[in-house]
Amino acid sequence: MIKEQIYKPTVLPFYGAVQAGFPSPAMDYIEERIDLNKTLIKHPLSTFIVECSGDSMINAFIPPRAKLIVDRSITPKTGDIVLAVINGEFTVKFLKKNEHNCFLVPANSKYKDIKVTPEMNMQVWGVVTNIITDTTDVRKCML
Amino acid sequence: MYALVDCNDFYCSCERLFNPRLENRPVIVLSNNDGCAIARSEEAKALGIAMASPVFMIDELLKKNNVAVFSSNYTLYGDISDRVMKTVGSFVPRMEIYSIDETFLDLHDMGYTDLLQLGINIRKTVKQNIGIPVTVGIAPTKTLSKMANRYAKKTRKDVGVFWAANDDLIQEMLSYTEVGDIWGIGHQHGLFLRRHGIRTAWDLSKAPEEWVRVNLSVVGQRLLNELKGVPAIQWEFETPAKKNICTSRSFGNLLTDKNTIKEAICNHAAACALKLRQQKNCCRIVHVFIHTNPHKTEEAQYSRSINVEVETATNNTSEIIKYASQGFDIIFKGGFRYMKCGVIVNDLIPEDQIQHSLYDQSDRPKAKTVMNTLDKINRGLGKEIVRFAVQGYEKKYKLKAEWLSPRYTTNINEILKVKI
Repeated sequence: MIKEQIYKPTVLPFYGAVQAGFPSPAMDYIEERIDLNKTLIKHPLSTFIVECSGDSMINAFIPPRAKLIVDRSITPKTGDIVLAVINGEFTVKFLKKNEHNCFLVPANSKYKDIKVTPEMNMQVWGVVTNIITDTTDVRKCML
Repeated sequence: MYALVDCNDFYCSCERLFNPRLENRPVIVLSNNDGCAIARSEEAKALGIAMASPVFMIDELLKKNNVAVFSSNYTLYGDISDRVMKTVGSFVPRMEIYSIDETFLDLHDMGYTDLLQLGINIRKTVKQNIGIPVTVGIAPTKTLSKMANRYAKKTRKDVGVFWAANDDLIQEMLSYTEVGDIWGIGHQHGLFLRRHGIRTAWDLSKAPEEWVRVNLSVVGQRLLNELKGVPAIQWEFETPAKKNICTSRSFGNLLTDKNTIKEAICNHAAACALKLRQQKNCCRIVHVFIHTNPHKTEEAQYSRSINVEVETATNNTSEIIKYASQGFDIIFKGGFRYMKCGVIVNDLIPEDQIQHSLYDQSDRPKAKTVMNTLDKINRGLGKEIVRFAVQGYEKKYKLKAEWLSPRYTTNINEILKVKI
């Protein structure tokens, strides 16, 4: 439905120094260098990046200090990792829901599932699409 | 048909987006230098906080009601505005961005029959994708769409959309709107019209054309047409090129020291030069001004400005700093407590149309290369990483921004932190 204008940083391909002799055989095969913005962010206008602390999602490959890419334009469905707001506080959990109930489920046995009640005023702020972690942070939580 | 999309209490909504605890709590955002309230959430309006209330006058009220106070974070608001505008723009072929939080849409040739549904879709999409609530007013002219927007806010709060689709609905809206609240009617004209028994927009739309032309000039005549549903205000797709660039700030505290103020002048000059280069313009006049605080009537007052004519039109930082400092040295007078200074570059011409002075000895191509390199480094490594020594680092004059929120969307070190 919505066509988004994509923010496109100008990354110019390097065509090699000018040579007086033969043209580079690679000339016709030049492609644009990989741009992670394009790979990781499908909807730039509705995407935000947040940083986590805490270990409740450690078994979902979210160690402390991980940066999460959050897309608000995606409609959350059961099984998604979501950035949610409960009683005015942010949290990141798995969303599990059926016709009767809705839960926010951590990925660490230390923590309990949260059963969402109307009083909590729970809102899904956005759906987590990617996790960016530094490998040193991964190592720390494996020790 | 035209639409006006307006973000509700925009600056407050931006702050709330990253701070959900502020939901239902009164929020205000302050002007530059934390002077007065320039944005108020609905809850803050209900407390009776008026637009432009100086903070020191409402201090008690703010504390008593637990009002959340923010310094203005234009970096954040600018980025969120861009996201909103581009998202809204994806619905229509043509739009005219009117301000940071308002945009007109041209709905002609859209093939839509149900414009109310279009408005609802726009509102829903912006709310979901960006998280900012907007209101949509739809009507046959720009003036009426602006009015429809206001009418939607007042009477269709839950829907957030009003489409003045037929004469009955237009009349309903016109009768509701007082003349003083019509877009383009200033305070004086509002009083004048009321004196002549014209209270509502409906009354005005029924006023004789000749009377309006005589008493409100051609502007009034144009307005009359707009109210009758005949488009009379031009559609501006491109903002006209700027005729001057102004950089000025109030100081955080009143200043007396010449060198500190000069440093501020040099920074403003550098900012003007950068903007000129971004627009590919050069200036022929550098205007410098300083003044004390006119509201402190008990203090000695001084205010002066000067135009410095440039030998050869330029956008070179070192030259503009040179001219601005020359001007400043002439107008500065010791013994006063200064509140504000600024630099305006005037008389702009495109940089490829410069007439060189006969006596111009400087190596312009070389100077240009230096500037390009400077801009390139600063673009890559950060704003003003490379700067002129006179710009200094201390910024003693820096603005007060005590309650500034992080730049959540433009600086990786300031992104939202979430405890999970």
